[in-house]
Amino acid sequence: MSQATATTQDVKSWNGGHSPFNVSYGKMMMWFFLLSDAFTFGAFLISYGTTRFFSAVWPDPNKVFHSFPFLGEANAPLLFVSLMTFILILSSVTMVLAVHAGHYNDRKGVIKWMLWTIIGGIAFLACQAWEWTHLNHQGAWWGSFTDPATALSSFEHFFTADKAVIAQHGLQATHDFYNYFFTITGFHGFHVFSGVVFNVMILLNTVNGKYELRGHYEMVEKVGLYWHFVDLVWVFVFTCFYLL
Amino acid sequence: MSAHHHNDNDTQVLYEGDQSKLYSGLMNHHTDIHSADSKKQVSKIWKVTGLLAIVTIVEVALGLYGTGAGMPKGLVNIFFLLLTIYKAAYIVRVFMHLGDEKKSFLITVLIPLTLFIWFIIAFLYDGGFWLEMNTNF
Repeated sequence: MSQATATTQDVKSWNGGHSPFNVSYGKMMMWFFLLSDAFTFGAFLISYGTTRFFSAVWPDPNKVFHSFPFLGEANAPLLFVSLMTFILILSSVTMVLAVHAGHYNDRKGVIKWMLWTIIGGIAFLACQAWEWTHLNHQGAWWGSFTDPATALSSFEHFFTADKAVIAQHGLQATHDFYNYFFTITGFHGFHVFSGVVFNVMILLNTVNGKYELRGHYEMVEKVGLYWHFVDLVWVFVFTCFYLL
Repeated sequence: MSAHHHNDNDTQVLYEGDQSKLYSGLMNHHTDIHSADSKKQVSKIWKVTGLLAIVTIVEVALGLYGTGAGMPKGLVNIFFLLLTIYKAAYIVRVFMHLGDEKKSFLITVLIPLTLFIWFIIAFLYDGGFWLEMNTNF
């Protein structure tokens, strides 16, 4: 008895019976999954950074990424990836609006904003498919640029460095650059793809009235966390590959 | 027999828990999407959207014209990293509602991320060291 009265409110919150973090189990586990996923992406990006620091030269993003669909040979550095970034940010906004509608048990709102989020996700994936195809047509892929006999003219335009340095180290740097580029944007793209699949599942459940029956739309919130995380990772991928 | 009987609704409760006991503050159940409170939230979301868009435009402008206008590449890169963290913070705080969670939960999520400080410094330093060894020795 006396023990019970001596405990503070703070200690009581860990004595069982309710959530000390005021968060449901599923949502907390989503956060912890995202934390582990952040370390996976972090490890990828840091190993990319290590290789880049290790290299005497590195491709200049403004020289590598300068094309835009239907503009042919027009030189438009950063324009297309900016469009992709805006698409992903906007789909994150529509997602948070879906979560908001869910907090108010507004089924129609959830359906509307989930639809927009899915469209945004598909648009982003379409952009990425175009970019990968375009780079592939220029000879880039996993394991490309390995043949020592490769002509200097096929990769020197990626660089802004001294020509002698490019001749000596450019081939290896181009090879490393594209391996990391396809691995990291591919891993991110796969996250976007699985996010779209989750979003479709949540939309179908919402349309079928499953969450209305359940009395809350917390699943929208959990999948929303995943979707925002995908946007968050893109913020870092964008900086590491296209800006720095 | 009756003690072990669950109807469909009870099964739902067991599956997801009774969320009404868990939500508080912003996460609490609300009823009117057209209420002033709801509109305030939505306008905050759009404000953050505008902020993220402006920061992205600044980043792209720096990427295109920063070094051309005479800014040293190192300084441009520092701006890129600061703006990236600025954007990330807004996404996590507002879009992912981490700013609305209990402070103890926020700290629980953020503390493991401080490992990145060591992680980034150690590995990039290692890369730079190997370049030095390969170039000068």
